[in-house]
Amino acid sequence: MIKDFEHFAPKTLKEALTLLDKYQDDCKVIAGGQSLLILMRQGLVAPKYLIDIKGVSELSYIKDDKGGLKIGATTTHRAIEKSPMMRDGFAVLAEMETRLASIQTRNWGTIGGNLCHADPSGDPAPVLIALNATLKMASLKGERSMPVEDFSLDYFETALELGELLTEIVIPPPPPHTGTAYTKFNIIESDLATVGVAVSITLGTGDNVCQDVRIALGAAAPTAMRAKKAEAVLKGKKITDALLKQAGEIASTEADPISDIAASEEYRRELAKVLVPRMIKEALARAKKA
Amino acid sequence: MKKELKLKVNGQPYDLYIKPKTLLVEVLRDIVGLTGTKRGCNSSSCGACTVMLNGMSVKSCSVLALQANAAEVVTVEGLAKGNELSPLQKAFLDHGAYQCGFCTPGMLMSSTALLAENPKPTKEQIKEGIDGNICRCTGYNSIIRAVTDVVKGEYGEYKEAK
Amino acid sequence: MSKYSVIGTRVHNVDGTEKVTGSARYTFDVVLPNMLYGKILRSPHPHAKILKIDTRQAKRLIGVKAVVTGKDTLGRKQGIWRRFPELCDEEILCRKKVRYIGDPVAAVAAIDEDTAEEALDLIDVEYEPLPAVFDPLEAIKEDAPQVHDGVELNININRHIEWGDVDEAFEKCDHIREDQFKCSSQAHVCMETHDAVASFGHNGKLTMWTSTQSSYYIQRLLADMLDMKESDIRVMNRHTGGGFGSKFELDSAQFCAAILSQKLCQPVKIVLSREEEFTATKRRTPMYYFLKLGAKKDGTLLAKEARVITEGGAYTAMGATALYLTGFFSSFPYKYPNYRYDGYRVYTNTAVTSAMRGFGAPQSTFVGESQLDMMAEDLGIDPIELRRKNGMTPNYEVPGQAFIQSCGLHQCLDKIEQHIKERGKLPPNHGIGIASYGFMSGGIFNWFNTPYAFSSAIVRINIDGKVDLFTGACDIGQGSNTTLSMICAEELGVRLEDIRIFSGDTGICPPDLGAWGSRETLMNGNAVKMAAADCKRQLLEFAGAKMGVNIVYDLDIKDRWVHLTDRPERGVSYFDIVKEAIRGKDGEAIMGRGHYTPHRKGMISPAYSFGVQAAEVAVDTETGRYKLVDVTTAHESGTVINPVGIEGQLEGAIMMAGGYGFCEDQPMDEGKILNPSIADYKLIRSLDMPETKILEIDTYEPEGPFGAKEAGEGLTNPTAGAIGNAIYKAVGVRINDLPITPEKVLKALKEKKKKAKK
Repeated sequence: MIKDFEHFAPKTLKEALTLLDKYQDDCKVIAGGQSLLILMRQGLVAPKYLIDIKGVSELSYIKDDKGGLKIGATTTHRAIEKSPMMRDGFAVLAEMETRLASIQTRNWGTIGGNLCHADPSGDPAPVLIALNATLKMASLKGERSMPVEDFSLDYFETALELGELLTEIVIPPPPPHTGTAYTKFNIIESDLATVGVAVSITLGTGDNVCQDVRIALGAAAPTAMRAKKAEAVLKGKKITDALLKQAGEIASTEADPISDIAASEEYRRELAKVLVPRMIKEALARAKKA
Repeated sequence: MKKELKLKVNGQPYDLYIKPKTLLVEVLRDIVGLTGTKRGCNSSSCGACTVMLNGMSVKSCSVLALQANAAEVVTVEGLAKGNELSPLQKAFLDHGAYQCGFCTPGMLMSSTALLAENPKPTKEQIKEGIDGNICRCTGYNSIIRAVTDVVKGEYGEYKEAK
Repeated sequence: MSKYSVIGTRVHNVDGTEKVTGSARYTFDVVLPNMLYGKILRSPHPHAKILKIDTRQAKRLIGVKAVVTGKDTLGRKQGIWRRFPELCDEEILCRKKVRYIGDPVAAVAAIDEDTAEEALDLIDVEYEPLPAVFDPLEAIKEDAPQVHDGVELNININRHIEWGDVDEAFEKCDHIREDQFKCSSQAHVCMETHDAVASFGHNGKLTMWTSTQSSYYIQRLLADMLDMKESDIRVMNRHTGGGFGSKFELDSAQFCAAILSQKLCQPVKIVLSREEEFTATKRRTPMYYFLKLGAKKDGTLLAKEARVITEGGAYTAMGATALYLTGFFSSFPYKYPNYRYDGYRVYTNTAVTSAMRGFGAPQSTFVGESQLDMMAEDLGIDPIELRRKNGMTPNYEVPGQAFIQSCGLHQCLDKIEQHIKERGKLPPNHGIGIASYGFMSGGIFNWFNTPYAFSSAIVRINIDGKVDLFTGACDIGQGSNTTLSMICAEELGVRLEDIRIFSGDTGICPPDLGAWGSRETLMNGNAVKMAAADCKRQLLEFAGAKMGVNIVYDLDIKDRWVHLTDRPERGVSYFDIVKEAIRGKDGEAIMGRGHYTPHRKGMISPAYSFGVQAAEVAVDTETGRYKLVDVTTAHESGTVINPVGIEGQLEGAIMMAGGYGFCEDQPMDEGKILNPSIADYKLIRSLDMPETKILEIDTYEPEGPFGAKEAGEGLTNPTAGAIGNAIYKAVGVRINDLPITPEKVLKALKEKKKKAKK
């Protein structure tokens, strides 16, 4: 059961930051609450004060930024899914959102809330990592940025400091000839990822030559992670089937998955081995069209 | 500690005074007294509590009631107009798209929201529209057939739910 | 032209408008004046002595009205196999010992749920944990901890079924297979959890609203536990949000609410949380299955031997029935000249295993149909041909056990064979697997020890010609209200809209054993038909006199028209006859009574339904993941009373039975269920549901009302077996333990590759 708390509904970012600064670790932030309310109903989280930022409309937007995207932290998953700006290089974001939970959850839940919940099997983080996105955080002291891949420190733990609020996701314009793809493995279509794989590949000159690549895994470690060793195998090289296989195998050893009721560690590694090459191929096909 | 909540439910304005921890589903069932909306789980997974909030389907067990301030909520009780059932309700009746009926309000709300947003969904989109709702009795296909017939126009030209 | 006016027509469910408008009231929605809310404290240990329970602090919490423990009960034990007192082993509110994680030890009634929940934290229970045992294969050993005192080797019950001489027959076989399987548990996941509102009056009488499959069983079991006269208890089944076998035994919500209400003389409502639903209600029986099958090289099956050890959990419940039925249905649907079954239900310190849709038959069908396909491959015979060669036929006697009257199995096999042919060449890594089944229409064995007829009904015709139907049958969503109303309307000769049904209320309805074992249509249908026929006979007496027809003519009623059967144009309005009949009976409404108890129908069931299901899967060989593409079922259930209802039951069964094969599981660690939430317990949703097709075979069952027999439960039997066989057809690997997860499939594929390399 949910324990009583005092509720504040700031209308501006400044108001929200002031409250966060005042209540420090006696407070929690709620946006859509699609993850937080589950924890509160089960008594796992019981703050004295709840800072409700659902109504801070200045944090809900999707803006073009010279070919890149800026997404406000309280933008709902559904808004991202349905946005006409999610085309070409950003189509992968809409595709990811389509498979995230259910429409009801996406209608109210926010991308910022998802990232701050820091569930390693979350869908947005690997995709944003593949897209080389950064996150902006603000507090009364000022602003700072960090790459998405550095944001989550451990299971359900982020680099946000007390008094800090995630405000924006910044996605740079994809370089020419870049394609990004995401898939997650599960048994039930809309379920959390047993393993998630996002790949972004930029083609260089020559046939199938990989200029740059980013491989991100979800549900394969305590946080969403980059498979840097697997990336190194591909960078600067011509993509062949043998190289794909190798990338998959290395990613599978780089991963640090757990065994739980959904799958064993061994199986998760097998999935990484298979899905990484598949997503590289998919990203490659998209890069060729881009 | 209590806070004011002003919202419309099925077109009727309510002026309430509630504990901040109150969930929207609790306002609807326990305070407003509309028990059509159900609860079937504690993990925001089953969809039995689905209602429409400002035209969007949401799980009312996972919405803090205060976040519905100034909002318009539609529950299953708001689908029929007087003694005239909505096209979806009629289609559900014809297709037997319910058995125990516990998930049915949620299914109707998800379907209503789907068609409000997109009056001509494909079969796949219909399936997606109710994928957040679990049914243990029907196996879903009769529900999909009911929605499909509404989309086809078998219950008159589909008008958006208010 | 159908000879029936109502039966076989596509109608709205009689409760439909309530359900689609949200006005259907479930126990979940019941709110009474002065009502309190209850919560239950449960054991965190799988096996422990209760040394002390201190409820003083909890009682002092403002808003708490009562706290009860086992000491506040009469200390009785109950069980649904009432005929065998030694099997009535569950106190519900435990006094001295807890036997599974979730066993209740205390209950609180408070002004709201939050206060009740808070009070639970204030109850201090001192336990002495005892060694516990979780696997039946361990529990059956000499040195295993004893779950119940005096029960040797923890063997709760054993069952033996035999005919012919299997040992001799195996000698004569050309080919013998021995295979082992493990069948998993499964949770019912009714959308409405177990709940009850108990209201004791100061007159000492109890009224209870509850979500139940049998208000009569609950009434009787409460009477046993509270030492009350049955008739001082009124149990009412509201609209019920699903049952599937989980809701016809006395449960903790009902019992604790009753005890609390008895103390306070106030209504007490207890609604189990979803977590309690998963961990502390009953579940499908997991089974270790050992099968030996022998055949001649031409495919004639000569002998089958089945040995089963089931995980009983902490108490008997309906586990004895599941144990028996799995052994009985292991012989279905084929003619085995020699058969032997030995089953053992073993107590363990885990959540109780009991009845779930299929009742032991989904398990027996999975293992049996898997092995049969393996045998077919060994013999080089087509799997359908093997089934055809040995399949049951009408008027077959299962030696000494049961008599099958109607049976459409062969037509089902033909239809499925046709369907597979039409499907043509399949894409790579696709496979179609089949499974056949047969299932009962209610049980005969009176383990409940009721003195009442198994089903009864009362029909009353009012002055306006409208008909009230009173039946103890419980509609749990399977549509019995509609089906029984249709039977009543057809028999009486009126329209469906003329019938108003009152069901599941022990205060006004005559007893019925409830909705389980797929019995309502046949058993209660027969009772309803008899009651309606009684009313019709009374009406026709008056009609005959009024119309003055020649003795050679018969009268009948159809569509509200009382007429000569040979000259239907000669007749009078049903409404006129009703008025005259009531006048003729001194102003009394016309009343008819009916009942049904199967007699001289063998030991199992009065009738059986059969079917064959084909499941198509598409396998991703790199990950082991597979998609359920299509499930086509040919089935027969006698005369179809309610076609919309049957289609719904079939598609719904596929979701549940498919889930049993595909994704549903309750992994445990030291007796603790690890996934007690709908987020973690995987269920098929709309995007996962395969395409479904129903091929109806026409049969007629003489024992059933208008020729009808069971439809809702048998269909849960074949899907897991069909999926297993389909995966083998698709990619050549067989998984013998449920559920068939992608991980298991991938592992098997890799092993197959390794073996091929050698």
